[in-house]
Amino acid sequence: MGSKKKVDKESSETNIDATELANDQNNESDDDSTKLTKEEAKKYYEEKGIDLSHDVPIHVQPIPPFEKSMADKIVSKFGQKVVVDYVRPNRIRMNTKREDILDVAYFIRDELKFDHAESVGGVDYPDSKEIEVVYHLGSYTDEQLGNKILALATRVPREDIPNPGNDSTRTPSLRDVFYSVEFHERECFEMFGVFFEGHPDNRRLLLPEDWADIPPFRKDFKIKGR
Amino acid sequence: MSTIAPEFRLSRFIASLTDIIFWVLLIFSIVGLPLVFIILFYIKLPVINGQLLTPYLALTWMANPANTVPIIKSLIHTEFFRIIAFPGFGFAALLAAATIFVERKFLAKIQLRVGPLYCGKIEGILQLMGDGLKLISKEIIIPAKADKPIFWVAPLLFVGTAAAFASLIPVASGWVVSNPNVGLLAVFATIGFFPIITVLSSWSANSKWPFIGGIRALHQMISFEIPLILSLLGIVILTGTLNLTEIVESQQHYWWIMFMPIGAIVFFTTILAELERIPFDLPEAESEIVAGWLTEFSGMMYGLIQLGTYLKLYAFAGLFTVLFLGGWNGPMIWPPFPADIITNGITIGPVTAHIAGLPLFDQDMLNGTLWFVIKTVGVILVILLPRGVFPRIRIDLLLHTGWYKLIGLAFINIFIALGLLYAGVLGHGGLIQ
Amino acid sequence: MTTQLPPGIQLETIDDRIMTLNVGPQHPGSGHMRLIIKVDGDYIVSCDPDPGYVHRGEEKMAEYRNYIQNIPHLERPVIHDSCNILYPYCLAVEDLLGIEVPERAKYIRVIASELNRCIYTLYWLAIYGIFLGHSTMFMWPAGDRELFIDLLEAMSGARVTHAYFVPGGVRNDLPANFEERCLRQVNYFEKRIKEYEAIFYQNPVLKQRTEGTGILSRMDAIRLGTTGSVLRASGVDFDLRKKEPYDVYENLDFETQVMKEGDSYARSRIPYLEMFESCRIIKDALRKMPKSGSVRTKLKPNPKGGNDESYRRVESGRGSLGFHVISNNRPEPYRVKISVGSFRNLICIPYLLKGEKLGNMPSVYWSLNYWPVEADR
Repeated sequence: MGSKKKVDKESSETNIDATELANDQNNESDDDSTKLTKEEAKKYYEEKGIDLSHDVPIHVQPIPPFEKSMADKIVSKFGQKVVVDYVRPNRIRMNTKREDILDVAYFIRDELKFDHAESVGGVDYPDSKEIEVVYHLGSYTDEQLGNKILALATRVPREDIPNPGNDSTRTPSLRDVFYSVEFHERECFEMFGVFFEGHPDNRRLLLPEDWADIPPFRKDFKIKGR
Repeated sequence: MSTIAPEFRLSRFIASLTDIIFWVLLIFSIVGLPLVFIILFYIKLPVINGQLLTPYLALTWMANPANTVPIIKSLIHTEFFRIIAFPGFGFAALLAAATIFVERKFLAKIQLRVGPLYCGKIEGILQLMGDGLKLISKEIIIPAKADKPIFWVAPLLFVGTAAAFASLIPVASGWVVSNPNVGLLAVFATIGFFPIITVLSSWSANSKWPFIGGIRALHQMISFEIPLILSLLGIVILTGTLNLTEIVESQQHYWWIMFMPIGAIVFFTTILAELERIPFDLPEAESEIVAGWLTEFSGMMYGLIQLGTYLKLYAFAGLFTVLFLGGWNGPMIWPPFPADIITNGITIGPVTAHIAGLPLFDQDMLNGTLWFVIKTVGVILVILLPRGVFPRIRIDLLLHTGWYKLIGLAFINIFIALGLLYAGVLGHGGLIQ
Repeated sequence: MTTQLPPGIQLETIDDRIMTLNVGPQHPGSGHMRLIIKVDGDYIVSCDPDPGYVHRGEEKMAEYRNYIQNIPHLERPVIHDSCNILYPYCLAVEDLLGIEVPERAKYIRVIASELNRCIYTLYWLAIYGIFLGHSTMFMWPAGDRELFIDLLEAMSGARVTHAYFVPGGVRNDLPANFEERCLRQVNYFEKRIKEYEAIFYQNPVLKQRTEGTGILSRMDAIRLGTTGSVLRASGVDFDLRKKEPYDVYENLDFETQVMKEGDSYARSRIPYLEMFESCRIIKDALRKMPKSGSVRTKLKPNPKGGNDESYRRVESGRGSLGFHVISNNRPEPYRVKISVGSFRNLICIPYLLKGEKLGNMPSVYWSLNYWPVEADR
């Protein structure tokens, strides 16, 4: 679950082969006297190093120039601290470390003219023991940026036994940069246990006051009966 | 249902019937008859043909058909009948009940729906009876920390004051329950009780929402009582009397609304505020303070308060008619009683019956009553109309209206009245009599 | 007290002058949430919203069901606007699975979305009327909604919670004679809503109560990140159907309604004006729709998305609704994050109610187009 597949021109060759093979395999379900069984086919493809896990034909998309220029601006200012995850039409995503997120956010607000955050969400990765906090930023004032969303993501370490507010799962709050994240960060705190330093009011929002269990959106929290 | 109710057995049915008859006779003879005799000490009995009319005598005389109508007529002209039935409580309650039903249907038609439909064969006409029975059968819940004596008594006080107010309104010439010489002042004094009762009932309920509702009702009623009194001063100046019957008699040729329209408008607005009707229904603003000062009343107490409210509505509409619209004056449209029935009697087939004392009510009185009812119903319909059109007003706008605008308009009205008086147009010795 | 309090717990001092009111979940004027209001006489000193009474954990439940099983429960946050809340989910899943939607399905989706927007707006207007004490304004929109609910019942089989949109198109085709029926009802509807102008929007008592209250300036609206009709009533011309057109909105012609004042009156008027635009869109779409064709792309059994994510958003009745779906080679999505318009507008409630009169509380609070069930998800 670690890396995401980047959809741009460089790495498209292997994917096209895999999809052709996958389509062929799906069409030949009827007579299997001369074909390989499923296990043998799987072993064959694994030896070759072809990943058949998804059955999605990947559409190759060209990288749009305006979004690329925005991504280049950020990378040129911050260099190694910011990693561009993907650049797609109307969507960019950057990953950064939690120590630098404030500077990056100030830069995005002042130079690139993104003025509000649409949503703040967390994603729990228990395998790599990290929780990822994703900010989706949009712009109302700039004409060209009206339909573009910049996703800014950071990872915080995750502990097995959480103690929300008092353990190492913390990140600086972006409330001084974007005022609109106030309630979103509160919800992220109560659902994942990520403490936002500098937020004036880290309190429960949606959960009842007497909730005594682990933060519910973590993967350890299993819904009963499933 | 068939598993709960037992099977029908004729013997059991007859047994239950005789049981009921037994108990009715017992209670009537042991309790009812002495009660009637005790009460009769306080009711003035008419003296007919030199004999005091006791119930036994009345029964024997009623057995003689020639005496039936005069006895009934003499009963109708007693004070008791006036208080209970005709211009008093019975008439007012009947009009109030009809108003509730008409209001629901009227509003429903404005709001593109139908209103009560199922209770009663014709368009839900028995809905009120159903509501009354329901309210009687509900449990009366008193909050634990409420001030119990005042809480119990408040709805009764409310109905009592409303009925006292309705008793001052003259319906036809000579037909009024009480006719004090300072009738209008008595009206003001009675109206002044209503804020006190509201605050008492909301305070005794001992809960936050009735408290806020009671305070709002107090603000509203007090700030609208002053324009109410001031707007009627014009009429008092021009007629020179406070007696309601005389005010109506002075409107034989013209109605006061023609000369004092501003006073009529101010009075109408203050009526809406005193009755707590939309747009002034802050004390019971449902979406903001649950039900205001009515929150804690349940069952028949709520029913009594509703009755009191609609009695008040009838009384205010009657007051408006009496003061501005000419009361019972109007062209004679009631057909006169055919005179040959008095002289020749009613002939049905071979039998001719002479019934003495027949015109129970004379033609003037019936005509006057008819006009009064028509005008009052018209005023009631206009009072009901804003409920379908306006939202609720806010408290500070309400106080602004009551203290600034309405008092200003009432003073303008007084100046118009004084001007008309001193210019010699109206009043004693004026151009128009 | 020298002990360290747990994070987020506050101490409160008791003041003689200030009364704390619980405009709570059992209150005819609050919807399914609680506002803890402190009043000083008639002025609100502070307001603390307490949502979460209807929190069902939609996002967590979505991780346990596969892409098609997610449809019935993801539409529950707004049951009467269910097409608009499933719309971005279907768009995002179509991105992840790489599905092309047929043309006729796109037009049907646009028509259903606009019908749902009108249904939601009328419901909201009805409750706005009754909060202000205007019972006629409650009855008329509630009755006029039935016109469109009947149409959606003919399309999808249910009056609310239609579950009509699926990744790949719509669940089934329109019934026969739908186009004439829809056109007739939309024409009648336009005549009906013109009457609201006289009884509600030009009503002097309403104007006195709502004009000039709860003013949200343009800079504040942008800074607070509001969305939907609240944003457009403060003078920002932003409508996702124009800025980031999805499905066939770029072929249809309509306008964005913007007002400059930013008070409660403007916020209550913008959805009403947008209903006229919705009728325009429906009539236009009915004209341009291909007359026949498939309405659904068949999915493979148990479709899995790649190691990928997608964020799509749609303009719903309350504002822009975004779905962030992350998939990882399993039939169930790894994470579904829903960003609803009501939750983004929640921040306006404490901001605007501070310093307002208590009598203005219903008119300001409900004019923010806040649907509590959706904000809690």
